[in-house]
Amino acid sequence: MAHGGETGHAEEGHHFTIWPLVAGFGAAIAYAGLVSGLTVLGLGILVFVVGVLGWLRDDLRSPSRAFFGFLEAEPGVVRVSARKLATWMFLATEIMFFTAIIGGSWALRVKTSDWAGPGEILNVPLTGLNTFFLIVSSLTMVEALASIERGDVKRLRLFLLATFALGAVFLSIQAYEYTKLFFEEGLTFASAPHGVSPVYGSTFYLQTGVHGAHVTGGVLALAFATAKAFKGGFTKENHEAVELIGLYWHFVDVVWIFLFTIVYLI
Amino acid sequence: MAEPRSTEAHATKKRPYVYVFGALAAVTALELNVGILGLAHDLQVAALLMMATLKASLVAAYYMHLRYEPRWLILIPFGGLALVAVLVAALMGAGL
Repeated sequence: MAHGGETGHAEEGHHFTIWPLVAGFGAAIAYAGLVSGLTVLGLGILVFVVGVLGWLRDDLRSPSRAFFGFLEAEPGVVRVSARKLATWMFLATEIMFFTAIIGGSWALRVKTSDWAGPGEILNVPLTGLNTFFLIVSSLTMVEALASIERGDVKRLRLFLLATFALGAVFLSIQAYEYTKLFFEEGLTFASAPHGVSPVYGSTFYLQTGVHGAHVTGGVLALAFATAKAFKGGFTKENHEAVELIGLYWHFVDVVWIFLFTIVYLI
Repeated sequence: MAEPRSTEAHATKKRPYVYVFGALAAVTALELNVGILGLAHDLQVAALLMMATLKASLVAAYYMHLRYEPRWLILIPFGGLALVAVLVAALMGAGL
């Protein structure tokens, strides 16, 4: 890596940590396991998780300064943070991923007779409330970023904690809905009430489940960010993780905006 | 450390986050009560999708800061959306 950034030098402090390497090995082993079998896959996932946890622990213990200062993607040419650019590229892949999930489900729906009407099986008011919670969490997230951009650590902590809590509430309500639908209303992966096609339940759980998994990842990232904020790990000069976690969180909200409309309202 | 101008602007400009939230909440309320518009079914579906797109655009522009980033950055999520266009075209071609 040739870029030293404007003030960043390796001498500013040792930030060597073995854990990203461990996580990388774990991912490689996991990919091998996708071919060779569950044991190897499981081992790979385990090593990957250990690597990520070790990395987070290292970061929490000695919060890293921006190693290279503000890292431009291409100094003088691409005047955007390299990490932010990479995050946006990741979000572009996520757009493609959710397009496949939602688009595929829609294609199945169009070809299926016996679909349920809006609100016939699903609880639209409760989910509408849940949608509201997620929108509020986007507000608290961006306010958290605005706070640390001003150097207000106290408000950063408050807003990060609020965002985390709202995400947890969203997941709880989803879990409650799932339990009620699956065990009481008869909406399973292979059956639906009122003579509705089983494809309804199958696509419902696929779309909302995949989204829920993404929200879970976001909540875990927020837990880490909140913990780091309370340890004084973010400053006015160094808080890029707050922005990038925020980008991911807003994206998850955007996906839900479309999902809620397509799955619950139409 | 000298920060690029766009990041300085983040800290000094007042951002309309709460107003955007107000708009998002209002549109959500309208979506939940779309029946009051009294539209025919197909129109109602179109209206709901337009409202969803409006909300998503507000979040992308103001909360994800795309409005304040270098113009070309928006090409990246739009690259992903290009796949949406391809998918819709393919599905319509297949008679869906």
